[in-house]
Amino acid sequence: MLKNLCKKMFGRSLWVYHANSGGCNGCDIEVLNVLTPYYDVERFGIKLVGSPRHADVMLCQGPAMRSTATALLRAYEAMPSPKLVFAIGSCACGGGIWHDTYSVIGPVEKILPVSYYIPGCPPRPEAIIYGVAVALGLAEKKIAPVSSKQPEYEIPMYHPGDPVKGSKG
Amino acid sequence: MNDSVIITISIGLANIVMALLLAPFCQGVMRKVTAIIQSRKGPPLWQPYYDLLKLLGKEDIESGDSPVMQRAAVYMSLATVLTIACLIPMGLSAPMNSAGDVMLLIYLLTFSGICTLLGGLAAGSTYSLIGISRQMMIMIMLEPLFTVAIIVGAVHAQSFRLDTVLDGSVYMNRGFPWSGVIMLVIMLLSFQAFVERVPFDISEAETELMEGPLIEYSGPKLAVFKYASMVKLIIYSALLIDIFFPWHGGISMPLQWMLFWLKIFCLVLLAALVAATHARYRIDQAVRFFALLLAVGLAAVVLAGFGY
Amino acid sequence: MSVMSKIKETIICLKAGRVTMPYPAQPQPVPPAFRGRPIFDATKCIGCGGCASNCPAREILVLDLCQEIRIIKYLGRRCAYCGRCADVCPEKAITMSKEFENATNSIGDIGQRLELFMSTCQRCGRCFTEKTPLEQLKMKGYRFDDIQNDRWIFRSRGYLGDEPFTSDIKIEMD
Repeated sequence: MLKNLCKKMFGRSLWVYHANSGGCNGCDIEVLNVLTPYYDVERFGIKLVGSPRHADVMLCQGPAMRSTATALLRAYEAMPSPKLVFAIGSCACGGGIWHDTYSVIGPVEKILPVSYYIPGCPPRPEAIIYGVAVALGLAEKKIAPVSSKQPEYEIPMYHPGDPVKGSKG
Repeated sequence: MNDSVIITISIGLANIVMALLLAPFCQGVMRKVTAIIQSRKGPPLWQPYYDLLKLLGKEDIESGDSPVMQRAAVYMSLATVLTIACLIPMGLSAPMNSAGDVMLLIYLLTFSGICTLLGGLAAGSTYSLIGISRQMMIMIMLEPLFTVAIIVGAVHAQSFRLDTVLDGSVYMNRGFPWSGVIMLVIMLLSFQAFVERVPFDISEAETELMEGPLIEYSGPKLAVFKYASMVKLIIYSALLIDIFFPWHGGISMPLQWMLFWLKIFCLVLLAALVAATHARYRIDQAVRFFALLLAVGLAAVVLAGFGY
Repeated sequence: MSVMSKIKETIICLKAGRVTMPYPAQPQPVPPAFRGRPIFDATKCIGCGGCASNCPAREILVLDLCQEIRIIKYLGRRCAYCGRCADVCPEKAITMSKEFENATNSIGDIGQRLELFMSTCQRCGRCFTEKTPLEQLKMKGYRFDDIQNDRWIFRSRGYLGDEPFTSDIKIEMD
């Protein structure tokens, strides 16, 4: 019974560890904005902690670089389960604009299993709060793959024998 | 005979149970007041309960240099804090009143600080070692302050018994209690340091990014440490109120108990206001501050010896 | 530690009240020139592939399934929302919408896929191509990306079709 209560409380108080593995710090500043009074995210019980051993969620920002890949993996393994990983920003979701440079391995999901993606460059603080709300189940996902098709139609071929306006024969 | 035993036991239990259940609530009040001063909507008042319950449900990773000492530090810390809670009257008389005297209280208060040191030592990482070295410096300066306050009370009350000393003893007897007033000012100035809040929470959460001695704890052990720190807030507030402003002459029973808890909330509010408007001190600034207070406190003991 | 300044500070902050925006409960207005997710309109697209050539993150892929059907696929993973595709599109088929609520738990959700009908010439029955491979290399937007694996193909082979254009000279492919 206590176990169920503890599981329910997981969503009410998420402790967050912020790990920037080589990004440009744009998303860092947006994450910092989310903790300010204007967009206050502490009203959901979310707190920034300094040690991965205390944290439930790792906010990954920046692509996985060659130099920081092992450090990122060690920080992920230091977190006690149950744990989540959020990939914030285009760099963490898919490698970003820098996906083919010499030092970038790729998106963060090449190293860690990612639970939620929050794309944007950088994502607005409201977008980050929306991502957290989707993870907590407070909001619905608004995005789905779109596939559209142009209709095919028959194109009449031009034969030299057809009478053409204004030409002879 | 049976009735009085039951009544005594239930009074004692009511004493402690109230304190233990309300400790996270006081922390919640502090966080909410901090949020209001920072012009934002803060966490709900019951947030520390959710935090503790969530931490209890997480996996427990044993890491660091010596897992045995890690475990021992956690359990000893909780045990010490609960024992102190049994020794202090909180509105009603303390359940373990006759188990010891004032000296036991002083040693237990010091021991609860040592448990954090042991926890940091068990982790063995650089951050925790820096944290515990700073905590040691603060403890050297701070524990004598509380000891001096209690001794001033003991000198005035001419006894070392717990229920006499913890009963407004600094104001007892002849003349205007100069030493009592001096001790009151000193204790109010250093209250923030005892309860480990800004501006003096130098060891824990200071390397605010790394949490100092608690860096390697996770899950249930972290929950116990956080809970011990919350109960310390209540214990020190109760000690302050019992020694300096009990003021319960002539008020009947349930009202007196509620008045006590009202005073505790006022102290918690004061601590929250000071914590929200100040920055954290450096270790050398804090040591200088406490050295000054200690000198004045020793002068107050001398005055108490002379009967002032 | 002067007490008066602390009290003044507290009064200033309390006067401001609670400035927190009730965000998930109420929608927030966006600034006027905000660039959110690009939306591809299949009814206006002519399949030139200019967006794919200009994307700095190489997120738009182009593939010709057969002579008449061209697939343009936008994978939104690395999109930096720069708006170059919308600037370049000659038919204004791409608009940068104001949507920023793009969080999801599966990255494939952000993709958009267009299947386009490239009409054939009425005289020769082929789609419009340049005469020689060199002319084709100079033409922007003619691509041969790997849509199955979501990859951009850098090889120069992509600029040539699979079938030979002239029947009398044999061209060696790498």
